[in-house]
Amino acid sequence: MRTKTNWAVMILIALGTLLILFPLYMTLTIALKNPEEMTRSVFAIPTTFHWENFSNAVKMTNFFRAFRNSALVTISTVVLTLLTNSLVAYAIARNMHRKFFKGLYFYFISAMFIPFPIIMLPIVKLASALHMTNLVGLTILHTVYALAFNVFVYVGYIRSIPAALEEAATVDGATTWGTFWRIIFPLMAPINATVGILICLSTYNDFLLPLIIISDQSSYTLPLVQYIFQGQFNTDYNLAFASYLMAMLPMIIIYLFAQKWIINGVTQGAVK
Amino acid sequence: MSKRLTAFYWMTVPAVVLFFVFMTLPALQGIYYSFTNWNGFGKHYDFIGFRNYANLFTDSNVGNAYLFTFKFAIVVTILINVLSLLIALGLNARIKARNFFRGIYFLPNILSVLIVGYIFNYLFSNVFTIWGQNLGIHAFSTNILGNENLAWIGVVIVAVWQGIAFNTILYLAGLQTIPASLYEASNLDGASRWQEFWRITFPLISPFFTINMVLAMKNSLMVFDQIVALTNGGPGRATQSISHLIYIGGFQGGEFAYQSANSVIYFIVIAIISILQLKFLQGRESDM
Amino acid sequence: MKMGRILLACLLLASMLTACGNNGENAGKVKLEFFQNKPEAKGSFDKLVAKFNASHPGIQVTQVNPPDAETVLKTRVVKNDIPDVIGMGATDTYSILAQSDIFADLTQSKLVESIDPNYIKMLKDVTGLSKITGIPYATNANGIMYNKDIFKKLGLSVPKTWDELIATAQKVKDSGIIPFYFTYKDDWQTNLPFNALAPNLVGIDFFKQRRENQVTFQEKFREVAEKQLKLLDYGHGDNFGKTYADGNRAFARGESAMYIQGSWAIPEIRKSNPNANIGFFPFPTGNDPDKNKLISGVDTLLTISESTKHKKEAEEFIAFLLEPDNIGQYIKEQTAFSAVKGVTQDDPAVAELQPYFKAGRVVDFADHYIPAAVQLNSIVQGFLQNRNIDAYLKTLDTEWDKVQSRK
Repeated sequence: MRTKTNWAVMILIALGTLLILFPLYMTLTIALKNPEEMTRSVFAIPTTFHWENFSNAVKMTNFFRAFRNSALVTISTVVLTLLTNSLVAYAIARNMHRKFFKGLYFYFISAMFIPFPIIMLPIVKLASALHMTNLVGLTILHTVYALAFNVFVYVGYIRSIPAALEEAATVDGATTWGTFWRIIFPLMAPINATVGILICLSTYNDFLLPLIIISDQSSYTLPLVQYIFQGQFNTDYNLAFASYLMAMLPMIIIYLFAQKWIINGVTQGAVK
Repeated sequence: MSKRLTAFYWMTVPAVVLFFVFMTLPALQGIYYSFTNWNGFGKHYDFIGFRNYANLFTDSNVGNAYLFTFKFAIVVTILINVLSLLIALGLNARIKARNFFRGIYFLPNILSVLIVGYIFNYLFSNVFTIWGQNLGIHAFSTNILGNENLAWIGVVIVAVWQGIAFNTILYLAGLQTIPASLYEASNLDGASRWQEFWRITFPLISPFFTINMVLAMKNSLMVFDQIVALTNGGPGRATQSISHLIYIGGFQGGEFAYQSANSVIYFIVIAIISILQLKFLQGRESDM
Repeated sequence: MKMGRILLACLLLASMLTACGNNGENAGKVKLEFFQNKPEAKGSFDKLVAKFNASHPGIQVTQVNPPDAETVLKTRVVKNDIPDVIGMGATDTYSILAQSDIFADLTQSKLVESIDPNYIKMLKDVTGLSKITGIPYATNANGIMYNKDIFKKLGLSVPKTWDELIATAQKVKDSGIIPFYFTYKDDWQTNLPFNALAPNLVGIDFFKQRRENQVTFQEKFREVAEKQLKLLDYGHGDNFGKTYADGNRAFARGESAMYIQGSWAIPEIRKSNPNANIGFFPFPTGNDPDKNKLISGVDTLLTISESTKHKKEAEEFIAFLLEPDNIGQYIKEQTAFSAVKGVTQDDPAVAELQPYFKAGRVVDFADHYIPAAVQLNSIVQGFLQNRNIDAYLKTLDTEWDKVQSRK
């Protein structure tokens, strides 16, 4: 019955994607032009590709070092978050009838509403007292702060997993920990994908926390090094856009290859 | 069974401790400082009671930031939800290359808000103005971010451009949970498209509507990165959001304690709004 | 389960990558951290730091130049991890930090000897302290740049009074060229005329009296406000849509005859057009050319952390930067001026400013005396949009009072 293509809708949808793609098209072409070509036409496809914008931007921002730092923090945060936050949420979800755990649930999610600036200075003080003003400290802080949102998401999901499975396992003599790792955690794969993707994006793109936590400039992440183009003293848009593009590229590449998986991941968790 | 319970406690205790140390403790410290006149880094400060709070209520900059933030949040929340629902309906219709289009609409969500802001900042000043001039529209032949009355629209455009992505995907997921048989039944009844939407589609995706409204509202009430990248709160204070005011006043202005008091109020406001929204929208859901 | 194992493997890999980031060289050297807040000076300081490290084998200086440097510096203070040597502007942040006793007392230091006493006094005025906590290094000038080719083509001469300035701008406008290229999308740019007008028309003493509540903006600043507005008649079509970076490029390409700007923009303008034929004259604020002073402030001062373990080495590094050859190289690359006596800036673009420096006819930027919490930049930017003089002056007074009362 519903097999004929609805061309009117499809054309509208296609036009809409132009709005999404236009800024990205501009980013790409500006990154490949030089200032003279810009004055000729802002919109045109560049006649010669100025790849040197990219190599200059790599030099200016120390791109590979910043990329390594970003990748390290992002990968470690995602792994740590998935392993720890799910565990916490599991304990809470299975004990929501107990006051202590119910209290914990609201304790964690209420932090979603705490404005970051209020904890900014105290956190800086604490982090330096604990020698956490480095990438390891940044990873730990990201993981801890992720709890607020993740507990909210995970608990909703875990409660939809029937408890009967675990009860059977318990009868067979499995410990609570064993039950979680062997039975529940694998069942949480869809929601883990959701959380993993969201944490990956927010960690990779974060600016403020690394800015105040990281002391050593050699540990700067990608968003921080973009700032040199934003300071009051830059006139070279082409270089800046080349650098922006490179900072976004790792995520875009991952997205191109894992697009279906990522979108399904984000939605599957939410549908439950 | 009690051994099982002990295990559950052990699963949460380390997290609770860490969370308390890195989140609650700093927040409590922030609240404590809100009763002082600490500038953020000096060695000395005095305890001044509720004076910061009293000053907040007479500070026109604070009122201005709240006004802007609410105007912004309401407009963005509505636009994002309407547009993303429309796009989701379009993507769910009988079209070709659906996955391709869906992939493109989700793309903005993976990009850094700050960098997207930088890019749009350039477009507003150097690209959109060219269109405005060519089309002869006066208001758009100059950079709208530099216009006291229009700058907020620029921030809205960027926030919506990026915010649509996530909500569209959630709505689409919601739409795909609706069995086709329901529509077939209503087709037989001769219901119009409009009726079909309000009678079948919307009620069935209302949980998604709830979560999308709450998320969009919360995110736009906390708007910060877009402001930094686009207008830095200007022109004047025309686009200064509450987070931006707290950050700028507390750090560049050296009024950490005063802005901490502002944060406390801000926290309470956001929490109340989110809870009310959830209560209201969930109540509505169960009515349907 | 499989997923868990993959995750663990990733974590291990990540920790291995972190572990190999360390290196063991430079052991046994005194390490100094040099923190400075001017991104455009990074290259110049890099060269000087390299030269210093090469000639001082026992000391290893590293330069740090983070984004949003003043905020980062404040967080460093909170961390109790204050950089050994700090280079920054003589701003309100410097003043607050100095008042918090974060910087070493350099009053007795030999470093002070070679510095122009005018600038030492400026720092004392900014901080309100009698001790010296910073060594003025490079200074700047705020005035009006002009395109010599356009001036020649239109037969214009450099204006010496306010009336001449407006007449010149009018002639430029009549010829179809943009008189001033305003870059008021950036709020700090809207301040430049204010910074020139206020010290000349009202005087820096005003701010000291304002602290004592003896005067108000409403009484004294009407003329300043009127002149700020008057200038807007001679802008381009999109005064509030263009940024500082846009302005540098536009002026470099000869799109406007004049450009109200600081000397710090010259290297940027030359980056866009190495052959830009530019001159620079002091902002004529009134109609008596003899009374007009050049606005010049401390662009970079050098200071030492009170808590550093290497005060001697830090002083050694500053002394090195102050050596005539080194500061000469710095001000040449940055088109800045030297706070060290006897070192001059020979760039032809700023030749017209030299007589003012020689005669000591300089006065500091007005905004160095206004608390940062007043947020002067946004107030001025807002005023230039709504053009309401009464509201503007009243806001300045109420914001000032509010900030005072919160202390």
